[in-house]
Amino acid sequence: MSYLNDFMKGLWEKNPILVLGIGLCPTLAVTTSVSNALWMGLATSFVLVSSNILVSIIRQGVPPHIRIPIFITIIASFVIIVELTLKAFQPDVYKALGIFIPLIVVNCMILGRAEEFASKNTLGRSILDGLGMGVGFGLTLFVLAFFRETLGANKLFGLTLIPGIKPATMMILPPGAFVTLGLMLWAMNAIKSRRN
Amino acid sequence: MTIREIIQSTIVIAIITFIAAFALSHINDLTRPSIQEQEKEKQENALSVVFPGYRIQDKKSVSLDGEDFVYWTAKKKESGTTRNAFAFITSQPGYSGDIRVMVGVNVKDEILGLSILSQTETPGLGARCTEIASTETFFGYLFGNLFAGKEVETEKEPSRPWFQKQFTGLSADQQIEIVKKGDWQPSMREQLRKKNAITAITGATITTKTVRDAITKGIEKLHRARQKPADGRTGV
Repeated sequence: MSYLNDFMKGLWEKNPILVLGIGLCPTLAVTTSVSNALWMGLATSFVLVSSNILVSIIRQGVPPHIRIPIFITIIASFVIIVELTLKAFQPDVYKALGIFIPLIVVNCMILGRAEEFASKNTLGRSILDGLGMGVGFGLTLFVLAFFRETLGANKLFGLTLIPGIKPATMMILPPGAFVTLGLMLWAMNAIKSRRN
Repeated sequence: MTIREIIQSTIVIAIITFIAAFALSHINDLTRPSIQEQEKEKQENALSVVFPGYRIQDKKSVSLDGEDFVYWTAKKKESGTTRNAFAFITSQPGYSGDIRVMVGVNVKDEILGLSILSQTETPGLGARCTEIASTETFFGYLFGNLFAGKEVETEKEPSRPWFQKQFTGLSADQQIEIVKKGDWQPSMREQLRKKNAITAITGATITTKTVRDAITKGIEKLHRARQKPADGRTGV
């Protein structure tokens, strides 16, 4: 039960974007298209799970006062692995996500999970935590991007939805991201308060 | 903090950074060949875009304002006459970082083709300067053309980003106007060409202006470079 909870809490109860409010910079920036959102979710999840694994393994050998630089070194290494791999084998994705791939290093969600969870828990639980948080992050990006791309560009996965209709461009621009995210927060809180 | 703690921390952090550097150098070795391959392919593709149907003759390097300016020359035989063309790489700071553009022009300074080599603009906004518009609709893709409604206008040209395609045929030595008409469609071509205009990327006027200014800067440099003898022939 507790293992299941380690995974599930990232999806809803402790959703990194909607509840913890972390990782908002890439959230607002890359959700202009569904495929960008999915690739971003995948890249971030990979870094998150990998860094959780390593941090959890070395957690007993790390002197507490230098843990942050060590975590950052680990995270940055995985981000460079993702960056080089995408650049070599998925150049179009690399081009589309641009600066937001290297910026995963400073996504506070990853350092946050390393600090709050992986450095205090066993390997198995840390993997589940990373997976849950990664999926929660990716799903939130997907939903946000779904609304922005369909309404703002009249497209889904880069393909036109209804030919001849002029899209509401505002949704693709930064204000559209803020408004959509605000509505998602409202919906989430409404469901939560109804349950209690 | 005791001396022992300091030494211990130093050793731990040294080991971890050593492992990280070791792992990354291997990843770098693994990915470098395909990254370099792509860079090379990108430049060759760019040259074929900016010199449509031309044969590349030479690559020249001239020092201008203390910087090396590189340009290519190409020739095409057409109805008995030989047409010359030039291509150059120019860059201009955009919304976030330099945008590097390769532009091909003929002797009358008409743009033959334009290719954006590198940019770091905002994904979804400025970065759409490299976006290839899909003519296929989502439902058409899923269910065939059964539910897709009427056929969208298709073009017989190889798929290239619409933003870059619209520069073809404009005069580079005159001011290129920027209009806001939304995404470029093949039906806009005639109207825009008459005004020597391009349509801006929605929400990324700065990116659009940057590319335009890069061309203006580059063509001016090309004019000066052609007056000067080349410093060194570097071959194609």
